[in-house]
Amino acid sequence: MTPKKIITVALLVTALGIGYYSMNAAPVLSDESHTYHGDTTWGTDVEGAMETAESEDKPVLVYFWTTWCTYCEDYNDNAYVDPDVHDRLDEFVLLAVNLDDGSPEAKQLQQRYNANYPPQHAAITPDGELLMEINGYAETDSFIAYLEEALTEWENR
Amino acid sequence: MIGTALLSGATLTGLVATLLLFRGYLRRDDAYATAVVPLIGTTGALLVVALGYLTYQFVVTDYTNAYVWNNTANYIPLLYRVTGVYAGNEGSILLWASLTAVVAFWAARRRGIGSPDAKLVQGLTVGIATYFAAMLLVDSPFTDIAAEFPEMNEGYVPLDGTGLNPLLIDPYMAIHPPIMFIGYALMTMPFAIGVAHFVSTIRGDGGIFGDWIGSITRWLRASWLFLTAAIVLGSLWSYRVLGWGGIWAWDPVETAVLIPWIFLTATLHAVMNYRSRSTYATLAPAMTATTLALVVYATAIVRSGVFRSVHSFADDGIGFALLLLLAVTTILGIGLPLGYWLLREPDASSGESGPWISRPNLLHLAVLGIGLLGFVSVWGLTFPVLNTYITGMEVEVTDTYYNMWSYPILLGILLTLGFYMDYDVEGRRRALLSLSAFTAATLVAALIAPTEAWMLTDTGPNDALFYRLIGDASVLSLLPPVAYVTLTVLKRALELIPGSPNRHYQFKQVGIAMIHVGFAILVVTVALSYLFTAQSSVIVSDARQEAELNDAPVHDVPDSAYAVQVDDYREYQRPADPDVRDVALSVEEVTARGESIHETAQPVYGTVTEINQGPEATIVQLDDSPIWLGVVGEGQESVDVSEGDQVVGVGFVMWDYLPDMSRTDAVVVAEPGNVGPVTNPPEAVDQTRVEGSAVGLTVYEGGDPIGSGSAGQEQYRQQGDMEVRDVFVDRGLAHDTYVIAAVDDGTASLTIRQIPLMNLMRASTVVLLTGMLVVLLFDPAYGLARAWSRRTDQPNAAEAETPSDD
Repeated sequence: MTPKKIITVALLVTALGIGYYSMNAAPVLSDESHTYHGDTTWGTDVEGAMETAESEDKPVLVYFWTTWCTYCEDYNDNAYVDPDVHDRLDEFVLLAVNLDDGSPEAKQLQQRYNANYPPQHAAITPDGELLMEINGYAETDSFIAYLEEALTEWENR
Repeated sequence: MIGTALLSGATLTGLVATLLLFRGYLRRDDAYATAVVPLIGTTGALLVVALGYLTYQFVVTDYTNAYVWNNTANYIPLLYRVTGVYAGNEGSILLWASLTAVVAFWAARRRGIGSPDAKLVQGLTVGIATYFAAMLLVDSPFTDIAAEFPEMNEGYVPLDGTGLNPLLIDPYMAIHPPIMFIGYALMTMPFAIGVAHFVSTIRGDGGIFGDWIGSITRWLRASWLFLTAAIVLGSLWSYRVLGWGGIWAWDPVETAVLIPWIFLTATLHAVMNYRSRSTYATLAPAMTATTLALVVYATAIVRSGVFRSVHSFADDGIGFALLLLLAVTTILGIGLPLGYWLLREPDASSGESGPWISRPNLLHLAVLGIGLLGFVSVWGLTFPVLNTYITGMEVEVTDTYYNMWSYPILLGILLTLGFYMDYDVEGRRRALLSLSAFTAATLVAALIAPTEAWMLTDTGPNDALFYRLIGDASVLSLLPPVAYVTLTVLKRALELIPGSPNRHYQFKQVGIAMIHVGFAILVVTVALSYLFTAQSSVIVSDARQEAELNDAPVHDVPDSAYAVQVDDYREYQRPADPDVRDVALSVEEVTARGESIHETAQPVYGTVTEINQGPEATIVQLDDSPIWLGVVGEGQESVDVSEGDQVVGVGFVMWDYLPDMSRTDAVVVAEPGNVGPVTNPPEAVDQTRVEGSAVGLTVYEGGDPIGSGSAGQEQYRQQGDMEVRDVFVDRGLAHDTYVIAAVDDGTASLTIRQIPLMNLMRASTVVLLTGMLVVLLFDPAYGLARAWSRRTDQPNAAEAETPSDD
């Protein structure tokens, strides 16, 4: 083995190591029926969420996101780890729609609530009536205010 | 028609040229050689003319072309009409195809196609250009507008286009794509030479890399120059476009462009290390051949919709064609050399292991290190897709992944670079000593973080150990390697340059020094400007009123040295002065189109000359003509217009609708909501494209005014209400001041960022680019200056090029 070959093998092994390690260390965003954002867990099954909302008599909060959106990461780092936000989110059935997910249900929701870019939130009734929407990123304070507004809307309905 | 004819012609001539070249290569004769160069020239000319014709259609807004209709609109100014040409896939590919064909023609003219090797190289290059042209026949940028409106009668032409993607309405975006495609097109030649080398080697002809090393070096350097410039321009654009997170955010598309750039950089170092058949006999040609595959990989990712990101403004069938091209280039570029290496590469001279520290070994380490850096980016794009495919779980790739892996590799590369430069002039012993000193300094500096802001990234307990370890390191660790590189590069330059009698050699060494120092400074400024960006905000609730005052109040921005004053408030729309003729037909036009528009919905306008009100309908006469505009609807029989008003409406053109009324040839029957005065038209013919609001600001820092300008946002009403922010940037010596304004209903909510070292960063990219330009021109062995002057002295001398020592 010449030094050159030894260096080559060493760096190939490093590359494989990086590949293996990073694949295992990457935060899980979703499994079969959920996605994870910050400390929150969101359903991904559109019909299921609507049915749950119907039976529990709760509004649905739809979160439109993508894996590459930096503002979504801001939500993960700020709003979705905040206990005050969690308190409000408990009042909703949470439904996350990955804008890159090509399923027809996701497309439909996307069109219906005009979600052209991430991140967007829409609070809706189980029938799909819009209560409130947030286009883009909202700081945690105003995010809470928006959620409050949706809940008031829901109570008054 | 003209466009399709041009593309067909280009495909045909390109195909014939390719076939003749391969035939000539296989049979080793020159039977049709005289026809080939003119054929390549014709292909290039036809593609360039097609591109020019498409541009012309854009400039005159010829909406008979569906692609033009999709990518521009009447209100868009000339510059952005031109840039609409490459707003979509088809136009971009046409640009790429034209440039590739021009490169092929240039190479064929300069180098000739006399030798079989040249025929093979040219055959591959022209083949790629032809493939692009054929792709365009399938997905044409000259598709007839009828394809967009199958329900309309033949000959229907819309009066206005749908508009250009708002993100592309930016001066940087006007030049970024052409420069990038020039870089890509230039890479076609090294690809062809690399592949031809392996074909030639496998066929037992001994390979061509050694003979063509000069050409390869020049093509690679030129494409590196353009690609670097393109990335710099793209970053400057993303810096101004909010939501893209500053100059670099590891968006899939940004990463996809970085990959070929990193790999090209590694290839340049590999080619430097090539010594005919002894050293790098496989690796250098293989890497050369792979560059284009990576370009296609990048483009496929951007355009095929594998990753949907902000860039995917145009994804359709071309994605598949690109994936096919990707497969072919991967097989030729990676499969072929790897196969050769596995099966045919002769064993290296046995028994001799040689010293560990030598220039070739260090260059090899550099190539591998840069390759590893590229791997991090390739893997970051690839493994989420792989993971979802295998396990069904979706994982997240954040900038933490890219930054935390790239950072230590980058430190290693910088230390290696410093050592190489030092070793080159100081010798082994002293170089090893200084390497140990700087490595130790790097490790110590990694532990010194004065405040949390100095740490590379915020990590939580849930993050992987490696990310926490690197994330907690201090950015100070970057300074010793950067200082090491700067010092050793300058020392080497001072050692080599003054003593040399060769002017071109001196130039080249200056260029080499500029590139490496420029890069080191770029790295440190990017890292520091990201970590030390400070942000603060203030709300000016009475911005509209304050703008009117002569002596507007100055608002302090909390937690910063800044203060702002609002001196202007604007709400505007584009087009500023809409012309109803752009969206509606006059009575003359309705008459001229006659029966052909019978029972079709058409917009019309005119001055009301008579009103005839009936029990369930109102009809108004337009311009004293036999064309009337009618409003029909129960309970809606009256319309709010009076004689002399200019009105516009959309309705169905009905000839002989009221046969009893002699002066009535046609009535345009409209719903009540679809008729209105020109000054306040119904929504269907409302031309407002953009609604903007902005404030004019004077920004103070520490009490002194540092600059004034405007900031605000624009909403594109007909493009999904997409919002684009216009930021105000003041370029200060030590830091940029970057103001974002959300302006709404008289209130301005301002966010001010202080971004350090931006000017140093800009300067470092200029140094980097200038350095490469100098090397490209003046390299004594392979420089353009020498190649050109020699060409005029003695033709064919390029065949006799020999690899030099540096």
